[in-house]
Amino acid sequence: MKKIIATLMIALCVVGNAMAQEEEIDYARKQAIDSLALEKVRDLSKYIKIVGSKETPFSEANRVIDRAEELFMSDAEIGVSSLGSNKITYYRVRKYFEHLMRLNYDRVEIEWYNIEYVSDLQRQPDGTYVGVITIFQTFRGYDKEGNLTYKDTTKKDITVYVKRKETQIGGRIIGFWDVLLGDMRVKETTNR
Amino acid sequence: MKSKITTVLMVLLAVFITLGGTTSCKSKKRLAREAAEAEYKSKVEQATKDLNAILDDETLWSLEEKEARVKTIKDWNLQNAEVDDLIFQVEKKLARERAQKEEEERNKQEAQSVNATLEKNFTSIARSGSVSQANRDINETLKLFESPNVPVLIIIKQNAGFNDYDRPTTIENYLNYLKDQKKATEKVYDIKYNANGMINELELIKK
Repeated sequence: MKKIIATLMIALCVVGNAMAQEEEIDYARKQAIDSLALEKVRDLSKYIKIVGSKETPFSEANRVIDRAEELFMSDAEIGVSSLGSNKITYYRVRKYFEHLMRLNYDRVEIEWYNIEYVSDLQRQPDGTYVGVITIFQTFRGYDKEGNLTYKDTTKKDITVYVKRKETQIGGRIIGFWDVLLGDMRVKETTNR
Repeated sequence: MKSKITTVLMVLLAVFITLGGTTSCKSKKRLAREAAEAEYKSKVEQATKDLNAILDDETLWSLEEKEARVKTIKDWNLQNAEVDDLIFQVEKKLARERAQKEEEERNKQEAQSVNATLEKNFTSIARSGSVSQANRDINETLKLFESPNVPVLIIIKQNAGFNDYDRPTTIENYLNYLKDQKKATEKVYDIKYNANGMINELELIKK
């Protein structure tokens, strides 16, 4: 009888622990996933810079595009704007990067800055945390003489989804936070 | 007459002194022998108790303390069959413990050395001045691994009893990540090896 009670207690503790992990997380853990999501956006900025650079070898650019694609949800789209038009074109992630590689400049500089949350990660009923991170991107295009021929600054909002998942590695279950980026929407484009 | 009595008394006195001295000497020797026997017995008892405790892992002594204790007991040179047999068994046990401890220390040193090598290579890849140099460093680092697909786990937060991880990646992708992002913000937390001494799982933790 004692054994049965002990077994039940252990089982309850295990289930309780698993449920606790599914439920609201504490402040320190929340901060860790906030930082992780921000880091993914910063990683994306570096990938955009590498692919946009005319000095990046083709094979490297393609490898980086694969990595960048893994950051996004499968149906995510990236908005592209320009000063000459009010139209915002949305591309699937791979198309966006291929477009970026083919830009008709001799040199391209892309800088992201002021990367921060505009809407904190909030837990949804299905357990996914959803938030919005805003970034400012300055794009500069140069001709072969080194003259700046185009420059704009775009404010973009990126929706981030963070979900707890499990995978099996080396015979044990690993619980991890999967950060995926959703659509990257253009909010404003200026010539600053 | 008086002189005769005096002589007899002197002779008797001499006999008493002689006999008395001999008896006292014999008593002292006996006491000393008894003390030595008691000490021997006590040492045998103590040695038997300590050696049995070591054999049965019933002491809190460190390996060095146990080795020192055995040396002390051997120095007593008790010449007791039971104690000698226990010493033989304990020495065998301590030799095994010593070998195991040395093996653990060797492994620890090797692990620290691999950790240091990996972390040095991570920094080197992240700070590399060119893609080609970074790729050379990546290929060099990959030689330590069973395959480029070895899983890499990154702990983002340690909690009471469990870890929160980032999405698992592979060592090849992780090394390329260092090259692309030009930052090495993780340190080695744990390494698993296959039978050939190649790394087959790597666990990192955010610095």
